[in-house]
Amino acid sequence: MLKITLRGLVAHKLRFLLTGIAVVLGVAFVSGTLVFTDTVKKTFDSLFSSVYDGTDAYVRSASVVKGQFGPSQRGRIPETLVSRVEGVDGAAAAEGQVNIQRAQFLDKKGKGIGDPGQGAPTLGFNWNTVRQLNPFTLVSYGGKSSRPPAAAHEVVMDLGTAKADHFKIGDTVTVSFNNAKVPKDSFRIVGVAKFGDADRPAGATVALFTLAEAQRVNGTPDQLDGISVAAKPGVGQAELVGQIKSAIDQRDVQVITGAKLIKEQQNQIEQNLGFFTTFLLIFAIIALFVGSFIIVNTFSIVIAQRTRELALLRALGASGRQVRISVLGEALLVGAVSSVIGVGLGLALAIGLRAVMGAFGFEVPTSDLVVKPSTFVISIVLGVVVTFAAALLPARRAARIAPMAALRDSAVESRQLGRRTTIGVVIAVLGAVLLLIGLFGTSNIQLVGAGVFGLFIGVALLGPVIARPVGRALGWPLPRWRGMPGQLARENAVRNPRRTASTAAALMIGVALVGLITIFASSLKLSISGQIDQAFRGDLVVVGDAGPGASFSPAMAERIAKVPGVAVANPLRFGAFEVNGSGQFLLASRPGELDRVFDLAPKQGDLYGLQPNQIAVSKKVFDDKHWKLGQQLRTKFPEQGAAPVTIGAVFGRGQREGLSDYFMSLDGYDKRFSQIADSQVYIALDHGTSIKDVRPKIEAIAKQFPGAKVNDVSGLKAQFETQIDQILGLVFALLFLAIFIALLGIMNTLLLSIVERTREIGLLRAVGMSRKQVRTSVRWESIIVAVFGALLGLVLGIFFGWAMVTALHDQGFTQLSIPGVQLVIVVVLAALAGVLAAAYPARRASRFDVLAAISTE
Amino acid sequence: MSMSASVAVPSPAAARAVTASKVYGEGEALVHALDQISVEFAAHEFTAIMGPSGSGKSTLLHCLAGLDRLTSGQVFIGDVEISACNEKQLTLIRRDRIGFVFQSFNLIPTLDAAENITLPMALAGRKPDRAWFDQIVGTLAIGDRLTHRPSELSGGQQQRVAVARALVSRPDLIFADEPTGNLDSRASGEILKFMRDAVSQLGQTIVMVTHDPSAASYADRVVFLADGKIVDEMREPTADRVLDRLKQFGG
Repeated sequence: MLKITLRGLVAHKLRFLLTGIAVVLGVAFVSGTLVFTDTVKKTFDSLFSSVYDGTDAYVRSASVVKGQFGPSQRGRIPETLVSRVEGVDGAAAAEGQVNIQRAQFLDKKGKGIGDPGQGAPTLGFNWNTVRQLNPFTLVSYGGKSSRPPAAAHEVVMDLGTAKADHFKIGDTVTVSFNNAKVPKDSFRIVGVAKFGDADRPAGATVALFTLAEAQRVNGTPDQLDGISVAAKPGVGQAELVGQIKSAIDQRDVQVITGAKLIKEQQNQIEQNLGFFTTFLLIFAIIALFVGSFIIVNTFSIVIAQRTRELALLRALGASGRQVRISVLGEALLVGAVSSVIGVGLGLALAIGLRAVMGAFGFEVPTSDLVVKPSTFVISIVLGVVVTFAAALLPARRAARIAPMAALRDSAVESRQLGRRTTIGVVIAVLGAVLLLIGLFGTSNIQLVGAGVFGLFIGVALLGPVIARPVGRALGWPLPRWRGMPGQLARENAVRNPRRTASTAAALMIGVALVGLITIFASSLKLSISGQIDQAFRGDLVVVGDAGPGASFSPAMAERIAKVPGVAVANPLRFGAFEVNGSGQFLLASRPGELDRVFDLAPKQGDLYGLQPNQIAVSKKVFDDKHWKLGQQLRTKFPEQGAAPVTIGAVFGRGQREGLSDYFMSLDGYDKRFSQIADSQVYIALDHGTSIKDVRPKIEAIAKQFPGAKVNDVSGLKAQFETQIDQILGLVFALLFLAIFIALLGIMNTLLLSIVERTREIGLLRAVGMSRKQVRTSVRWESIIVAVFGALLGLVLGIFFGWAMVTALHDQGFTQLSIPGVQLVIVVVLAALAGVLAAAYPARRASRFDVLAAISTE
Repeated sequence: MSMSASVAVPSPAAARAVTASKVYGEGEALVHALDQISVEFAAHEFTAIMGPSGSGKSTLLHCLAGLDRLTSGQVFIGDVEISACNEKQLTLIRRDRIGFVFQSFNLIPTLDAAENITLPMALAGRKPDRAWFDQIVGTLAIGDRLTHRPSELSGGQQQRVAVARALVSRPDLIFADEPTGNLDSRASGEILKFMRDAVSQLGQTIVMVTHDPSAASYADRVVFLADGKIVDEMREPTADRVLDRLKQFGG
């Protein structure tokens, strides 16, 4: 039987080629993702190990505040601790560390380099004078040698930025900070440095100052973020940590080993990468899932076409088991070969991904690709298992072929669909229930995933039942419009409902996800736009050109406030703090001017007269937690530590409306945070002043603050929409793979079908069908199948979109929007894709040699 | 009868081959399927082509019908030299001027009998002549089968539908390739009788390949082929005479 298996593969190599491609692409995506993220992780792991190689102990504040969205924030320690740490027996050297949150270089045109809000980080540190504690190495650049910063207004720049933005040693550069007192300042570049082996750390820009200068620009005089300590020879890290702990003995100070510091940094990267890996792997799994439909289909069709051959084998004495093993053997071989090719292609993909990331500013230092044995195992096992599992059903069917079938004329698809329908309904309903429970009940993403998966399979099983009526209906105008070729296209599209359904199901998956994302994005846009309309009362707003997370010097708002015609320029600041131990997001603004620019819908207390020791909370949280006005909240701030505040007011528009559940006055904020930066500035004009007159003046001011952009209401909405569209574009690009594989599936089915219909096509040609008419017919058949799949997908996509948006109502998705035009475009694109998929099969069908075709057995 | 309308071409022959040769293979494996054949098929005649297996009778039919290409020589349908036509022209000639009846698999399984009959006209975007259609369907006694799919028809019924299709567009010429090869004698007789009537009463022209002497007896004329050459012909054949003649081939 093995020989027959092998012969079968060779004889049908074209048929299996396309099946193979589906597996190859899915596996390549999986292995490419794994190789890429492993490589990135390895690169950073070794970077951190080398960078902190000389650090044996690290002293820092014990006070940490969890962020609701971003990373947690840690408090600072006094500089006076350094001498006490240095005095420890085992310490060879100790040096204070200042991490400047934002030290953004401006390029020669005054534009900010990097994006402190959400893009490439703009880091600033003090230059470490102790060689072994310093992760940076000075290098000579442009023929000039570097030296460390030694005085105020001197800076060392990372080599990456110097190269990318054409700075030379000796140039003067402006750096912008989150500091009201020092919004920006000029520095002379005295040196250029590398970070370990890299030109810069992962696309970040780095500015290095003297310790005193770092504290000045950061607005944290006499404060440190940490103290790095090097041990004397022969003193172990744990020993050193023990000595420092007993020397300091303060509960608010934490001492850790250098090894732990490295581990922490590595874990941080791993966590960030983990999200990214999961994101990519989801799309890889979707691609494989779509591919599995193609595998089922190919094997089913090939087995149907080989019915006589298999029946002959049975008649000659082969057992059903042998037939099944023969088919599964084929699947195993196809799966294995495709998976191996897929892994190879994955390596190329990993290199490509690295290049793409580099192009987006996230440079991954070049190193050899990391191909773990587990990557091979996971990718190949996944590819083989998917192929094998997909072939199980067709193999079972093959084993059931009776020897008598050898005598019958040809394969007729007639087995009753009753049981299949029942199973399909059960799985689909189960999927829908899981999805709804996952979304509305337990907020369990795994349940949602399982539900989506179940719905896809359930609907795919139900497909054959509806393929005939729906296909007929879709093709209804064809006979009139395209004549006999159109009629044949319609009939052919529905003559094998199972085949049509599983071909369409592959496309359904991609279209459903596109539909879901489209509805999701459209609802998000509409919700945000509605929230802006409701909450925004002002005339203009200054925001970051890359998003809401920007940070500007408070000087900007002060200068805007002085523009004639401007009534109010109220800054908005963001902060992270903890309420009852859970990380929360804090908004701060000037309460007295709030009602001119914002409608937070005040409910209780005096929102507009909020005191510095008070906080305002949203009605939703207030009610949920059963708080009372005047009650003290257990709050904790990164720098201050635990510091209770009193509830002074309750307002209606919180996080659900796209804002925050916690609001504080600017005075209160400034008392608790040292990094003072405005994220947005809301502007209201004097009555009777026209926006047109004032806007240019405000724009002139904003121009001097890197990344600032002046918007009116419609501009603000448009900016949000652009950002959503960008993310949408990325997701669509990743879903394209799934759709591409589905198109291969349509092409494969058509190719198999036309081979099956060789005689029929020959006859049609003999009685006068032109080549063009043959092509037209195949093309329209493909279009019907594609549109059928797209419609199935759309129905599911709309259901998913509705469920998801409704479930996220409390997260700010206040409005459901089903964009009809865009969804119609999706169907039209699916039809065009059908044309594309049909191109080769149609050409082949039209080129059949008429005489050979009629005489084919 | 409307025979004058269907034969507008003044040429005496509906189809003819002039020194037609068809060679397969090369060198030692060279086979002359047709060897310098010149033959004419008169309009309004029923001609049978006979010969042993490998005599080239099917090749001759395929070349006459534009389904296959000659190695050398010419083939004419009426006064059109189809051996000089391109693929597109051949398609049009097959569609508009020629009717086909094959031994098996004559019908498109997804179309019903009526649609199969009018298939060539539908492909041309023309409407069938309703009266003519009804006459053919009536004569072939398939009026109650028109909405049936081929899988619901018997072999004989399928061949009758195929004959109806060949006739409905009033072609200059009908080529039949063993049209009764898969039928029992009763069904064969019905089909052959109808083809005979189509020539005598409706003025059609039929060229039929067969190896069955009794089928050939329905024809006006029998052309005998052997080794790619025309070796004999017979007018007013009877089954016995044809059989006797075939025996002389020693097959």
